[in-house]
Amino acid sequence: MNEPADQDTSRTPPSRLFRKYLYSFVALAFAALAVNTALEVWFSYREQQQLLAATQREQAASAAIQIGQFIGQIESQLRWLSRLPPDLSAQEDERLNAIRLFRLSPAIAEIATLDALGREQVRVSRRLADKVGSQADLAASPAFLGARASGIYYGPVYFFGDTEPFMTLAVLGGGNDPQVTVAEVNLRFIWDLVARIKVGSTGKAYVVDRKGQLIAHPDLWPALRHTDLSGRPDVQAALAGTPPAAGGLVKDDLSQRRVLSTYATVPPLGWLVFVELPISEAYAPIYASIGRSTFLLVAMLAFAVLAAFLLSRRMTVPIQMLTQGAKRIGSGDLSLRLAIRTNDELEALGDQFNVMAAHLRDSYATLERKVAERTAELEKARDHALAEHDAAERARNAAVEANETKSRFLAVVSHELRTPLNGVMGVLQLLDDGSLNEAQRRHLATAAGSGETLIALVDAILEYARLEASTEALETRDFRLDQLIQTAAELMRPQAVAKGLAFELSCDASLNAHVHGDPVRLNRVLLNLIGNAVKFTAKGSITLKAALAQQQDALLLRASVADTGIGIASAMHERIFEDFVQADDSIARRFGGTGLGLAIARRLTRLMGGDVTVESTPGSGSVFHLAVPLGLVESATSQGVPRAPSRALRVLLVDDDPVNCEIGEAMLGRLGHHAVIATDGASAVERASCAAFDVILMDLHMPDMDGVEAAARIRQLRLQQTPRIIAVTADVSRNARERLAGAGINKIVGKPILIKNLCDALEDDPQEGSETARLAAGTLIDERFLSDQKELLGAQQIAKLCELLEETSETLATDIARAAAADDRAQLAKCAHRLGSAASALGLVRLFEACNAIELAAASMSIVECRTAGRELDTLRQASLHALAGLIGPERERTSAGAPAVQKEARQPGRAGFLREEAP
Amino acid sequence: MIGQSARPLAPVAVDRRNFIRLAGASAAGWFALGASPDRVRVVASLIGLPLGDPLTNRSAPESATSRLSALIQGMTERGWVEGVNVRYETRSSFGGPAQQEAAIREILALKPDVILTSSTIETAALTAATKTIPIVFATANDPVGNGFVESLARPGGNVTGFTNSTAEMGGKWLQLLREAAPAIERVGVLFNPETAPRAGRFFLDSIESEAASTGVTVTPVPINDATGIDQTIRGYAGAPAGGMIALVDSFLVINRRAIVTAAAQHRVPAIYPFHYFIDVGGLMSYGASLEVRSADYVDLILRGTRAGDLPVQSPRKYELLINRKAADALGLKLPATLLARADEIRE
Repeated sequence: MNEPADQDTSRTPPSRLFRKYLYSFVALAFAALAVNTALEVWFSYREQQQLLAATQREQAASAAIQIGQFIGQIESQLRWLSRLPPDLSAQEDERLNAIRLFRLSPAIAEIATLDALGREQVRVSRRLADKVGSQADLAASPAFLGARASGIYYGPVYFFGDTEPFMTLAVLGGGNDPQVTVAEVNLRFIWDLVARIKVGSTGKAYVVDRKGQLIAHPDLWPALRHTDLSGRPDVQAALAGTPPAAGGLVKDDLSQRRVLSTYATVPPLGWLVFVELPISEAYAPIYASIGRSTFLLVAMLAFAVLAAFLLSRRMTVPIQMLTQGAKRIGSGDLSLRLAIRTNDELEALGDQFNVMAAHLRDSYATLERKVAERTAELEKARDHALAEHDAAERARNAAVEANETKSRFLAVVSHELRTPLNGVMGVLQLLDDGSLNEAQRRHLATAAGSGETLIALVDAILEYARLEASTEALETRDFRLDQLIQTAAELMRPQAVAKGLAFELSCDASLNAHVHGDPVRLNRVLLNLIGNAVKFTAKGSITLKAALAQQQDALLLRASVADTGIGIASAMHERIFEDFVQADDSIARRFGGTGLGLAIARRLTRLMGGDVTVESTPGSGSVFHLAVPLGLVESATSQGVPRAPSRALRVLLVDDDPVNCEIGEAMLGRLGHHAVIATDGASAVERASCAAFDVILMDLHMPDMDGVEAAARIRQLRLQQTPRIIAVTADVSRNARERLAGAGINKIVGKPILIKNLCDALEDDPQEGSETARLAAGTLIDERFLSDQKELLGAQQIAKLCELLEETSETLATDIARAAAADDRAQLAKCAHRLGSAASALGLVRLFEACNAIELAAASMSIVECRTAGRELDTLRQASLHALAGLIGPERERTSAGAPAVQKEARQPGRAGFLREEAP
Repeated sequence: MIGQSARPLAPVAVDRRNFIRLAGASAAGWFALGASPDRVRVVASLIGLPLGDPLTNRSAPESATSRLSALIQGMTERGWVEGVNVRYETRSSFGGPAQQEAAIREILALKPDVILTSSTIETAALTAATKTIPIVFATANDPVGNGFVESLARPGGNVTGFTNSTAEMGGKWLQLLREAAPAIERVGVLFNPETAPRAGRFFLDSIESEAASTGVTVTPVPINDATGIDQTIRGYAGAPAGGMIALVDSFLVINRRAIVTAAAQHRVPAIYPFHYFIDVGGLMSYGASLEVRSADYVDLILRGTRAGDLPVQSPRKYELLINRKAADALGLKLPATLLARADEIRE
């Protein structure tokens, strides 16, 4: 290993592997040592215990033998004394022998010899004066009887002088008349024996007689106190003859120490020698042994830990070196060389590592070279690609530019084409001065037709150019869908009828709704589809179907235009929507057109988020499906359903007709308002003064008081909260309106009352003003209507209609003046009706109303009145037209200035056909 | 032992850890010395002999047989080292009742742990003075009769000890005296009624009984004045042949030299109860062997055994000592039975 790696190793803390090894070794060593020690201690404990018990038993046996010898010695001395033949010794000699025996045996306190009859011959005592030949009769004494009976007598232990244990011992002499020698033995001398018996250093041996009386004890004094041990269980058991327990008995001794006890029996006497060793001393060697073993265990363990530490270190250091080497190789330091010198597999592994690192180094070098090569190649390729990309980008920019140029060119060209075309068309119109013959007129018509086609073509190109340039943006607003579709249908119907085709319109009731969308674009698409159908159908019918479907929070208009025309081959079904494409080349020849109509239609549809598709079979007609999503309009007025009132109103209903009252009340109730009925003007005024009302529905024709007058009176009450007064009348004539306006009534509900009208009238914000108010304020034109129409038809169409109206109305005005002058009432009424009708188309309401009035009153008017009316009507007409010109004037100017022909195809239904060239 | 050492420490409220440490340390120290670990005990002795008597001199050549030195030796064997944990105080009652009283006062003032007495007189005086301090008597002939103990086996009170003779011994003395000097016809029994057990009557019965069976005249010779000794003994000189029996009496022990001298001077054979008399030239003595085991009892008492639980020990060996020189001086021929019985014959 190189130098830095070595330093690393020495610095790292003990690794997990090291700890694992260490713990394992230590645990193993500990387990082995602990088990060994435990077993050793256990066996040694057992052995020691056995040994101890055996030793103690031997001691007891030895003590028993000594005591037995002690008694046996006295016994044999007595025997020696008793077997001296009596005839050989005088009594005095006998005394001397007894005195000699005293010297031998200090334990003998007194000796008496009895002849065969039990008479005392000699009595020698240590305490008393000796007696010789007293002849005292002791034949009945137990000692004499016992000795005579069995040759030897061991008397019971008795206490002489209250404290000294004594025993009587008697032996029978030899010969025909054997004498009996009786000795009193002081057992205190056994004390010398038991005191000499060493039981450990603190153990004791003591002697108990057959009755359990303590005879001898090393402490002496317990024996002197007549200590009776017969109550102790072990003494009882021993006296009963139970052999001592092999392992000794653990019990409490006289001084309440725990001792290990055993005993032995003194053979001839039946006494027991107890040997007791305090447990603390008895087991001291065992405890010492355990302590030694524990110390050894700890020492061995320490050694084992040290060994484990060294061994673990020896094992883990190379592994750590390997790990770190691998880590450094992993981190890319391939120059590393591991120097493991363990002379085993680990060293081999280290060498393998080094070989691997070397291989890696070589591979790495090769790889780097290859990478460098590849990088160079890639750089080259990238430069190449970048160059290509730049070229493509340039090409694309050029193409875009070219396309824009094209569009600009198309627009410019189209516009520039239009100007001369307008001139041509104008001249063509001027040419027909009535002096032309049939052939000339036909030529002129052809020329005019071609011109119009040309204009339409240019317009189409212009629009396409705009779409292409993506300058078209949707102009969305709310509009009535049914109106739009009907208007479109009506616009195209004359063309179809003119070609002898049946035209069917099938509108679903769902169309009767206000929607939000781009009506102009939608109208254009519809007109295009219908126009195409008319164009490519020679006979049969054209059917327009439309329905509005609810789609989540939006609406989807589905319309289909079906014809019985030439049809389209299936291969062309998609192509016909492409630019400048027609079903086949012959189409252009046969039907003309630019091939832009359907392309524009599809683009517009898609712009609106919808689509146009076709299904068709050549020869049997085509069906174009249009699907356009439209927005939902919150306003419910158009839904034809009474909506909930914004708030409950207090309404005073004034009507003299009870039926009307009832109906009115019911309607108000249904609309959620609270109604109060007044049956005449007077009571109405009275009720209005009593209670506060939000609205007063006033019938105008009442027997006592005119509604207008009643309204005026209510106003004069100067109520804190002035109620809105709505007139209910069948008379919506101008006079009536003017009169009502004067009385402060600015709203009229026609009779019979329709619930929707009533609802509208009640809900209308008075501040916003109503239709009636606007009209009553002297407005000549219903601007809202006009703007609706404008949305529907487009400004150009309106302008055209406007021109048409100017022409027509002038003619009609002249006719009316003429009829009035001629007092031709019928003609007057007819002309007035036509004028009114024409005026209504563009929202000239005042003119329309005036015409209505004249039409109605024509029959009853005087001639003067008729003329006056005619003049007034003409004045009103001129004023209205002037106002109309003022309203649409700006757009007319704009149309002629900008891209005037874009909407031209809708201006004249007759020219819409050019859009249909692509259809088969 | 640890418990005993803890007692004086407990009121100081030594915390437990310190106590254990201290107890362990002191115990270890005392074990090292082989001695009892607590305060120095006081062992007091009240003796009848004057303090100047050789028998009370510890360093005397005879000290091995003196009671006090035997006690000290026995105590040392049992772990009581003089000056370390035990102190011996000796007081003498010699000189009359006043001196005895003073000695007893002094001893009680020492607050001894145990009091040793030498004879019946001192024992009686001390048992009257204290019922709490343990008393061990060395020689009391009749402790039950004197009221020192309830019984020999279970003394019961604060007194125990050792007896050295029994009443029957009187007959034995007369028999042995007659064996040594068979010619004796009259025998005087010497005693001081003030110091002898039961004023001398304790032994007289057995002596008179033995005298009656042998035809010897026995006369009690009470004496309470040392100056009258010579005179008294002289009364048994000459014919008919006389003899002397000295009873167990501290007075006689104190005046042993005068008695022995007078007996030798007036050629009166005498028998004594203790070997002290032979030591100063007396003819013969017979009495209990002085197996001094008082150290055993003192040790037990100092270690907490009640004196009343320790039985009174009786003698088990009797010794006959004969001074052959004295016998020759008296012209006595000692018979075989006597010589066979003698434990020691001094030449």
